[in-house]
Amino acid sequence: MNRAWIPVLVLAVLAVFPDVVHACPVCFDARDENRQAFLATTAFLSLLPLGMVAGAGLWLRKRTKEIDAEIDSETPSDR
Amino acid sequence: MVTESAAHEIEQRPEPVSRPKILADGVMGMLLFVFAEIMMFAGLISAHRIVRSQVAGEMWPPYGQPRLPVQETAVNTAALLVSGIVLVFAHLAFKKEASRARLPILIALLLGLVFVVSQGAEWVALLGEGLTIQSSTYGGFFYLIVGAHGLHAIAAILALGWASFELYKGRLTGSQLATVSVFWYFVVLLWPVLYLIVYL
Repeated sequence: MNRAWIPVLVLAVLAVFPDVVHACPVCFDARDENRQAFLATTAFLSLLPLGMVAGAGLWLRKRTKEIDAEIDSETPSDR
Repeated sequence: MVTESAAHEIEQRPEPVSRPKILADGVMGMLLFVFAEIMMFAGLISAHRIVRSQVAGEMWPPYGQPRLPVQETAVNTAALLVSGIVLVFAHLAFKKEASRARLPILIALLLGLVFVVSQGAEWVALLGEGLTIQSSTYGGFFYLIVGAHGLHAIAAILALGWASFELYKGRLTGSQLATVSVFWYFVVLLWPVLYLIVYL
């Protein structure tokens, strides 16, 4: 059985469900400025930790490669 | 019992290469702490943004509340930023010769003290004008966000004071200075963001 459609269905339910139960502050607000503030802060708080972890990961990867290159240049090759 | 061929194989193995640490333990610990603190301030900033957007008629600061001293705080901001730059020079000087970092660290420390004392004087003036933590959400957010940063600034001054003391005693290591510097840079770089959000 092809289950590839399940993630799509889950995503659709997650996207529509808050709208149906009026549980989404980003979807309903009389004031457009308030709605935008909710949207902006949701994006900000979601992306900031991901950005920090990704940044730290990339830096560690770069630093590891530099150290590996230093070790390779110091150790004599067995070839 | 090790056979002759196994012993020979062990002898043939290359010596394990000792890898230097990517980051000193102290720096790594401080970075994790700073990440957590960034998220705390991100939460405060987000709450401030939402509450501000809910104020009717975009009246911010709310009617009857004193205005924040934007220009005086800009001078404090400059002092704090300069302290961060001076600490970069201290770090570079430390790499050449530890004792050369004494003066720049002391200057950074003094600039940090100028910032905290000026902020304290500003708070006293604002309290006198009627802006308290309970006077409005404006006052509440001001004292919460700026106060949280102020506590971090005081902690950074204590840490840099300790580093300066250790340096005079000739006991400060490079990783200790780096650890303290990470926290100081966090305090310095966070402030302009808070200044833009809270004061302007």
